[in-house]
Amino acid sequence: MPSSTRRSFVSDRELLRRYHEQGDRHARDELIERHLPLVRALARRYVGRGEALDDIEQVGAIGLIKAIDRYELSRNVALATYATPNVLGEIKRHFRDKGWAIRIPRGLQELNAKLSPTIERLTRDLGHSPSIPEIAADLDTTPEQVLEALEAGSAYSPVSLSVGSTSDGEIDPMDTLGAEDEEYERSEQRATLAPALAALASREREILRMRFEEGLTQTQIAQEIGVSQMHVSRLIRKSLAGMRTRLS
Amino acid sequence: MVADRIELVAPLGAPWEPVVRLVLGGIAGRMNFGFEELDDLQLAVERLLLEAGSQDTIRLVFDVTDRAIRTHVGPLRETAIADALQGPEPSPGDLTLRRILETVVDSFGLELSDSGELVVRLEKVVRR
Repeated sequence: MPSSTRRSFVSDRELLRRYHEQGDRHARDELIERHLPLVRALARRYVGRGEALDDIEQVGAIGLIKAIDRYELSRNVALATYATPNVLGEIKRHFRDKGWAIRIPRGLQELNAKLSPTIERLTRDLGHSPSIPEIAADLDTTPEQVLEALEAGSAYSPVSLSVGSTSDGEIDPMDTLGAEDEEYERSEQRATLAPALAALASREREILRMRFEEGLTQTQIAQEIGVSQMHVSRLIRKSLAGMRTRLS
Repeated sequence: MVADRIELVAPLGAPWEPVVRLVLGGIAGRMNFGFEELDDLQLAVERLLLEAGSQDTIRLVFDVTDRAIRTHVGPLRETAIADALQGPEPSPGDLTLRRILETVVDSFGLELSDSGELVVRLEKVVRR
């Protein structure tokens, strides 16, 4: 390839330097994109445990982003090496927190894993959010089974939203909430969530803003940020629950 | 016109929320609500249950017409809910209970039961 058309390769280390020393967000984005195949490879190890692959990848991507953000330039270690335990830790913690808090029959877990991709596909094919009977027909099961599987999928342990730092040194996403907003004394406005909103991690805050200010649907948000619609639904609930926990 | 009514009295607390969601899902499924519409309605009810305070039980009444589910949640002893729903418009950037309900249901309001207790009404319309 002629040198004039060859895209110059910038090393991970240089991108990390640009990000950490100059605040170059494009460098950060490039690092994320460059290492997403690593996340996908690691996520595939956890297929078959009741979670859709794209959801596991999304969780793993959070670990990758944390690794990039926490990387110290003084470390003499490749980013991929540093990121791998972070990604695996994030995925493992996700499964541990989700943990099927109540015993879910294997059939329901498997059905739950099929729901997210099925809803995505039906939304595209039908041009609208599919109804429960439509989902059931597509999966050759009953609406009641679909509802049970949905409920099984939402069986996040509520405790996981407020447990704080975990024993393996990882930080719960909800712990990334900023500490600058201390207006909790406004607790007489129990239904007002604004102070805690300001303290949310930027990703969660952006999702809530798109949903409740711009009025975008979950499907539109999912397309915007590149996750599944069910994942958007979970993030909205998780964010609202986290905000409420802080207010309480 | 109210075609059917389903009533549920449930203990208030996280362990029983899945039961409420399942009942809502069963109703919405029979009305051909899209998954997102169902999720919205479930979110609205979940938020109200969370804000209901320390009472022991909650009564949910689902009035089902051919085009909407009208849900009554009450009695709610936490009067802050009334303030939150009847207060001024939320400022831009504020995420209040009122804003959440405005987003996820077609209409909502406060009503008094025959015994003078506070009840919140939520209405979600079928789009198809």
